[in-house]
Amino acid sequence: MKIVVDRTKCSSIGLCEATAPDIFEIGADGALTILMDEVPADRRADLESACENCPTQALSIEE
Amino acid sequence: MTTAALTRAERPYDPADLSSVEFWSGTAQDREKVFAELRAHRPISWHEPVKNGMFEDPNDQGFWAVVRHADLVEVTRRPGDFLSGEGIAFESIPRELLDAAQGFIAMDPPRHTKIRRLMAAAFTPKQLARIDDHIVANSRRIVDDIAGKGRIDFVTEVASLVPMNNICDMIGIPEQHRRTVAYESQFADGWRDPRLLQGADPLARLTQTIVTVHGIAHELIAARRSRPENDLMTALVQAEVDGERLTDDEISSIFVLLIIAGNDTTRQSISHGMKALTDFPEQRAWLMEDLDGRLPMAVEEIIRWATPIMTFRRTAAHDTELGGQHITQGDKVIMFYSSANMDTEVFDHPEQLNLSRSPNKHVAFGGGGIHHCLGAQLARRQITATFRELLTRLPDIHTVGEPELGNGNFFHTVMSMQAEFTPEGKR
Repeated sequence: MKIVVDRTKCSSIGLCEATAPDIFEIGADGALTILMDEVPADRRADLESACENCPTQALSIEE
Repeated sequence: MTTAALTRAERPYDPADLSSVEFWSGTAQDREKVFAELRAHRPISWHEPVKNGMFEDPNDQGFWAVVRHADLVEVTRRPGDFLSGEGIAFESIPRELLDAAQGFIAMDPPRHTKIRRLMAAAFTPKQLARIDDHIVANSRRIVDDIAGKGRIDFVTEVASLVPMNNICDMIGIPEQHRRTVAYESQFADGWRDPRLLQGADPLARLTQTIVTVHGIAHELIAARRSRPENDLMTALVQAEVDGERLTDDEISSIFVLLIIAGNDTTRQSISHGMKALTDFPEQRAWLMEDLDGRLPMAVEEIIRWATPIMTFRRTAAHDTELGGQHITQGDKVIMFYSSANMDTEVFDHPEQLNLSRSPNKHVAFGGGGIHHCLGAQLARRQITATFRELLTRLPDIHTVGEPELGNGNFFHTVMSMQAEFTPEGKR
């Protein structure tokens, strides 16, 4: 699985990093970085939670 | 629905009182009786304007009260329908005051997004983990100072000092200004409280707060421009938004927001937490069986119990629907966080402190929208560090009597509260 960020929507609120700090990171410039190119299948629940809880619906999963 | 046709002036007011000074001068338990009835029978209800003798606006015809958890979450997640830029308090606060004091909390996208992004990196979980030793050391020093005393005013000597030191460290406010900014921040909601005003005119006193705090901000802006440090003030003077530097007034407004949001929230959570740990000894005993392991979960419940911010307002951007109710453009919509955090649809026995509550979907940090609390991780770490230090070193610390509460409709303020304990080394 991959995580896709819609940069026009992401507001760097950081709820995704709070859910899965090893996958998401708000950098010093305030931009979101995805730390894993390919996310292991056993992390699906975390990813779905991050996507669902994103305040701006900026995250989606690409299979 | 017939109400769809009613204008603001025509709508009848709900009989439940959410607007009087008496309502807000009571206890959370008293207010909860009214909220419980509204949640059960009239979840989106129209009320007369709050009465407080200031900021009275002849055009203010009332507000919608949003009291259910699910509806509150929905409002926070519809920032295009429910705006923050018109103000986040009940009162129709004049534009100049909003601009001077509410920073990016009273802003909408796209400007909000750009300003908030400047702040984001300083408050991420990883950044807070990096400064956790520092947060722990601040709590330790505070407990060092009270450990020999045996009886203290808990608010003055513990609860207010914890966030004051941590937020001032992060912003870069030097020692000589810290007590001033922490004291002045109380007027954000306390301008209506005669005990704080001590005879001063509310608007004059609030203006004095703005002038005092902006004065300190301008001094720090000049200092960081000539000599950058590793702090938020430096980040703000160096930041560019759309290729332009922030003005001194914009930075000062963000500064005011950070000190109010930083001081007046965690202060209340620590105070209400201490009272709750006194009132629920079985819960405290359970916590003490594995303090380090159970504290993170317990802190979430303490934050729900405290709900340090009781309300936030939005303003309808256009005609829309919420929970089956027709909302008209320009209507004030008030979210009642203290009510949502007691919603039995989400919480079993919310009237009981349950430190092992899991999951704990409280909305004390917000409902998950774009204005979700920037300092949530900071707050959690401060509350955790403080109770670990207190409960380890002063295991019998307890509150004495009833706390003196504020009378505002925004912060769930504890003004003073006595606490007693066996002094360290005398056991």
